[in-house]
Amino acid sequence: MNPHEWFVVHRTEFVIRTLEPGDERTFAEHLPGCAECREEIGRIEHDLAWLPMGASPAVPRPGLKRRLLEGALGSPVRRWRWTSQWPAIIGIAASLLLGLGLYAREHARSETLTRQVAQLDAALRGAQDTLSIIRGASRVLQASFTMDGHNGGMTIFADSHSHRWNVVVHGLPAAPAGEVYQFWFICDNGMIRGVTVHLDEKTPAFMTLPMPEAGGTVLGAALTVELDANTAPEPQGKTLAHLML
Amino acid sequence: MILRRNAAAGSGDTSRAGGRLLSLEGERSLRDRLLARDEQALVELIDVATPWLLGITQSMLSDPDEAEEVVQEAFTILWNRVDLLDANASGLIPWLLRITRNRAIDRLRARRRQRGKAQRLESLGALGDPSVRPVEPDEAARPGWHVHESVHAALRALPEDQLAAVRLAYFEGYTQSEIAERLGIPLGTVKTRLRLAFDKLRGTLAPLKEWVI
Repeated sequence: MNPHEWFVVHRTEFVIRTLEPGDERTFAEHLPGCAECREEIGRIEHDLAWLPMGASPAVPRPGLKRRLLEGALGSPVRRWRWTSQWPAIIGIAASLLLGLGLYAREHARSETLTRQVAQLDAALRGAQDTLSIIRGASRVLQASFTMDGHNGGMTIFADSHSHRWNVVVHGLPAAPAGEVYQFWFICDNGMIRGVTVHLDEKTPAFMTLPMPEAGGTVLGAALTVELDANTAPEPQGKTLAHLML
Repeated sequence: MILRRNAAAGSGDTSRAGGRLLSLEGERSLRDRLLARDEQALVELIDVATPWLLGITQSMLSDPDEAEEVVQEAFTILWNRVDLLDANASGLIPWLLRITRNRAIDRLRARRRQRGKAQRLESLGALGDPSVRPVEPDEAARPGWHVHESVHAALRALPEDQLAAVRLAYFEGYTQSEIAERLGIPLGTVKTRLRLAFDKLRGTLAPLKEWVI
């Protein structure tokens, strides 16, 4: 018997697995390199394909079908999985809602903080701008006055580079009813109405004013008390301060 | 269990026996759906094939729990390596049967290595069939029953000494030397009986593949 005849003789035993373990390994190692044996093994397997059904069928025990499905799919079958995972689903939903709530709250808080930061930033930039005018002022004018027993004053920091003024008015009580404190620019073409100054005794009024577009060169400023309804282009009321550059 | 002598064992006329396991079209459809990872196809296959897979595993292992584990492994292999189905020409059920039987043999041999064959044989008693159970009235209607009857008839046609060797070899998973020891006959005699028996079985069972699916 040549070596290959041994394989030829033992093909059926290999298929039905009655070879001793050592012989079975030898045969298995032979197969990849022998097309003839592979082909014949395939034929034998095909011929005997239904032989296992010589065994009588067995009645599956209750629950086996579900276990087989779960085992093959690698997870609980869908119906079981769905019901058993309700707590997890509810937990996830609750977490999601909680997360959304927290997000909304934090988002709102974040927006508030953003607004606050923007406001502070604007205030800071304003303060820096004001300070830059004061520090860069080419002229500082000051006037003191008395009104109804109150000692007040007006100070002007004039910045010739930015053509703006910082004006501080202090020491005055709130304007009498029906009247307002009115700031005026004194120009070479006459008086130009500026801003209305709102005051109380405790807090000075602080204003940053650009130069008026009309009226020509600005020569100075004045603070008067005017009737609230007065819109005349020239001061009509009492003059509290009058400063010339 | 394999050669149950009872009224349900027919004459081998398969045309009058119970339903087929799967029609040719049905098997093709099932195979396509498995390849498409259709879980419902797996459910249908489990319904049809499990009784027969359990039959062979319980016959070999004589342990219902271990038999179910082997069937479980077979279905898991099928689902995870469903791509191999295309290349397998012998059909879906035969492929599953072969996987199942091979896994059962592996377990049997591992078990025997651990316990020792003699002890195992004593615990099982004799060659007989301890797991034989009564035939249920509606069993003949079970899908695949006609295949069982055909195989049954082919086995019954073997001489008794060859049948005994086939039963030990194929349905109980013994090697040739183990069979020789169990039957108290020379190894060469076992080989001869098995060779003769399987030559006959091939001739008898081969036509099954033409119509069974």
